[in-house]
Amino acid sequence: MNYIIDAIISWLIFLFGVAAPFYLILGVIGIGGFREITKYEVYNSFYYKLNPAIKILFSVVVMIIASMVIWWISALLAIVILLSYTSLRNGRRKAFIGSMFLLSVIIGTTWSYAPLTPPAILSIAFPHQTTFLDLWKWPSYFAIMGYQPYLTLQGLIYGVQISFRFAAVTIAALILVMTTTPSQILKALHKLRIPDPIVFSLMVAMKSVPMVFESLDTSVKLQMLRGLGSDRSKYLKPIFMLIAGLSAIVPTIVHLMRGAKDIAISADTRGFRAYNRRTYFVDIPMTRTDYYMVGLFLAGIGVAGIMLALGFGRAIPYIS
Amino acid sequence: MTIIEIDNLKFSYLGQTETALEIEHLSISEGESVLITGKSGSGKSTLIQCINGIIPHVTAGKLTGNVRLKGEDVSEMTVAKISTIVGTLLQDPERQVLNYKVVEEIAFGPENLNCTHDEIEKRIQAATERTGIEDLMERDTDTLSGGEMQRVALTSVMAMEPEILVLDEPTSNIDPEGTEKIFQFLHQQKGVKTLIVVEHKVERALRFVDRIIVIDNGRIVLDIPKENMLEMVHTLLEKGIEIPEEFLYASKMGLKSADIETVREEIQREGITLHSHARRRGGDLVLEAQSKVEVPERIIVDAELKARKGTVVAIMGKNGAGKSTLLKAMLGLINKNQFTSSSSIKIDKVDLSESDISRRGAYISYLPQSFDLMLINRTVEREVKYSMRKRGIRNDELLQTIFEIFELYEIRAADPLRLSMGQRRRVSMAAILASEVRIVLMDEPTSGQDFYHKDLMGKELRKITDMGYTVIVVTHDGRFVYRYADELAIMHEGRIVFHGIPEEGFEISEQYGILPPSDHLLRRHEKNLEVE
Repeated sequence: MNYIIDAIISWLIFLFGVAAPFYLILGVIGIGGFREITKYEVYNSFYYKLNPAIKILFSVVVMIIASMVIWWISALLAIVILLSYTSLRNGRRKAFIGSMFLLSVIIGTTWSYAPLTPPAILSIAFPHQTTFLDLWKWPSYFAIMGYQPYLTLQGLIYGVQISFRFAAVTIAALILVMTTTPSQILKALHKLRIPDPIVFSLMVAMKSVPMVFESLDTSVKLQMLRGLGSDRSKYLKPIFMLIAGLSAIVPTIVHLMRGAKDIAISADTRGFRAYNRRTYFVDIPMTRTDYYMVGLFLAGIGVAGIMLALGFGRAIPYIS
Repeated sequence: MTIIEIDNLKFSYLGQTETALEIEHLSISEGESVLITGKSGSGKSTLIQCINGIIPHVTAGKLTGNVRLKGEDVSEMTVAKISTIVGTLLQDPERQVLNYKVVEEIAFGPENLNCTHDEIEKRIQAATERTGIEDLMERDTDTLSGGEMQRVALTSVMAMEPEILVLDEPTSNIDPEGTEKIFQFLHQQKGVKTLIVVEHKVERALRFVDRIIVIDNGRIVLDIPKENMLEMVHTLLEKGIEIPEEFLYASKMGLKSADIETVREEIQREGITLHSHARRRGGDLVLEAQSKVEVPERIIVDAELKARKGTVVAIMGKNGAGKSTLLKAMLGLINKNQFTSSSSIKIDKVDLSESDISRRGAYISYLPQSFDLMLINRTVEREVKYSMRKRGIRNDELLQTIFEIFELYEIRAADPLRLSMGQRRRVSMAAILASEVRIVLMDEPTSGQDFYHKDLMGKELRKITDMGYTVIVVTHDGRFVYRYADELAIMHEGRIVFHGIPEEGFEISEQYGILPPSDHLLRRHEKNLEVE
């Protein structure tokens, strides 16, 4: 009897890690929410006025700092950036979607690391601890999935710490997408000497991201209209949304590919890549604020470097 | 002087054995305006892609023979060089506008040509003056209507200052008003630029073309001066080209002009009776919907729509009038985070106002404009049965009828996404009807369809309304409405300003940007209206 109860609890814990991010992504954020945080909308607050190159640099700097410093600094960084979403158009809504996305990243990453991280790695991450607190013993056959015999508290903490390294960068990168038009990015990347074919691919990708979510959303809703999951409990809705989302991938790709050819023809027949260089009618100048931001970035990296040199806030070991 | 010359051209797409295009000789003179027409898949777009260099530079395949632009072989020119001679406007504006700001979109081409700031400014000014879009310059491209966006795309092509303007079905995705503006522009360009227009709406293009080329099965089957069109209308009709009725009557009566007034007078003089199309009154009221959708700045839709059993109700209106939004509101597809919406909907007296999409779907089915997105199964048969399976329906008789109506038996094992556009549309229709839902909403199903396929669809709608289905169809195609709809609802600025029989609707439609079809104009004084 105990064996059965243990198995049920083990599978529930396992499923929580799989289902919770899906529930947050599909049930709370929804495809429409994803479209909102991947689409440019006109507004006039701080981020919108920054030079696109500075916003690209911002993501890079956040990535550098998050990889260098102790996890809680990354977490702090992620929360501060998330709070700054409130300055965007429909800021509160975007901050809410961003926080749900952040939570799904944290849960998903934690569950990907916690049960799989061997004690040897945990010993490096937690050098001052000789024993780890076992929270749950997995059934032996979970080893097939690479699971360690026990789920430990330290494993969970380690998973959370790792997740913030991804979270801060992801939250920062979305700011670029939400506050910059594709053509502004084209100009910025071109000035940074990135080759035009790569820049154009990025530009088309940026233009396509909201369309991807829009098409997926339409396809999912069409399946619901046709009766998918209609006779099931509403609590199972996220699962049917996931099924519908997976089924929608192929028609969405085909639909977008048909459009992508037109985009390529439209650009090529207007002389795209006619010459190695191109001119720009509307230039995006570097403003004083942009230079201040560069200063702030340098200071941030500098402070992180100094603190690391002084032995404070090092990324490894994870807990000082 | 010859500007385009094609000799012994033969092209087949990569991985396909059959020849998509085979042209022995074709030459087009500088300043000439040519209409290229033919059924869907006949090879029209392939021909223009050979002219603008997309074939062979972008689209791969087996190409023999040659295409020369101003004496230079296209295959030896770069696409960039070709782009300074040939400007290309495609069918779907949303798929060719790349930039966020209108001014950036127009500047895109000259920027690629490395023009100086002053030169770009000069080109932008000249192009916008020609196309008359000065009022759109400060707008963001994603706030433009389809017609406006197409004019922006056209302006961006004009900013390249090409000598040849190639337009591939430039009006098939936009409303009549937008279409008229594009055609007005082309009329102004006649003789100024060499124009090559691929278009199904032959009669509209006639005022600015000198010559008509018909393509069928990848070959030129007719190449005539515009003046000879009346003599050749029956040949054109045989080749699946949409010919307005006045041309058919003018040809029949031996008239030299197909002017509607002249033809109508002659018809009356000769005592010919024109049969009007039967309009059904329909059975019981099966749909009662009231929807209000708004954003803080404005009301997008505030409309009430009713429909009776066994009827086709067409909704027409300019781009942005709220037609598609009305359909979405009825289905419960409005994004509550973007819009404030309230709607009440009753189907067969069942109140669905508080129901979610899934429950509404048990009473209403929906065919969106991008119907490819509903094709999720590997075979046509599985696709059609999907709706039945999900709704727990077993009705072999209905399945058989649907397969017959939409001619799906031969392709039942095929992958739906690999079929032609017309076939995909039929599979989608069959799939939504199989759920036994009796109310069908269709969003612009005529868009991009040729005469043959529109006619086929109209007949299919007739068959399904005979079976008791009720169809609400959003369309820009007045002729389709005149021929197949029982009722017409005209939407303007979110409201339904007219709902009645098409004959009455087309009397007032022009003030709402909807041009009445010539079928109506020919019959406007006829009193023999049939009502079933």
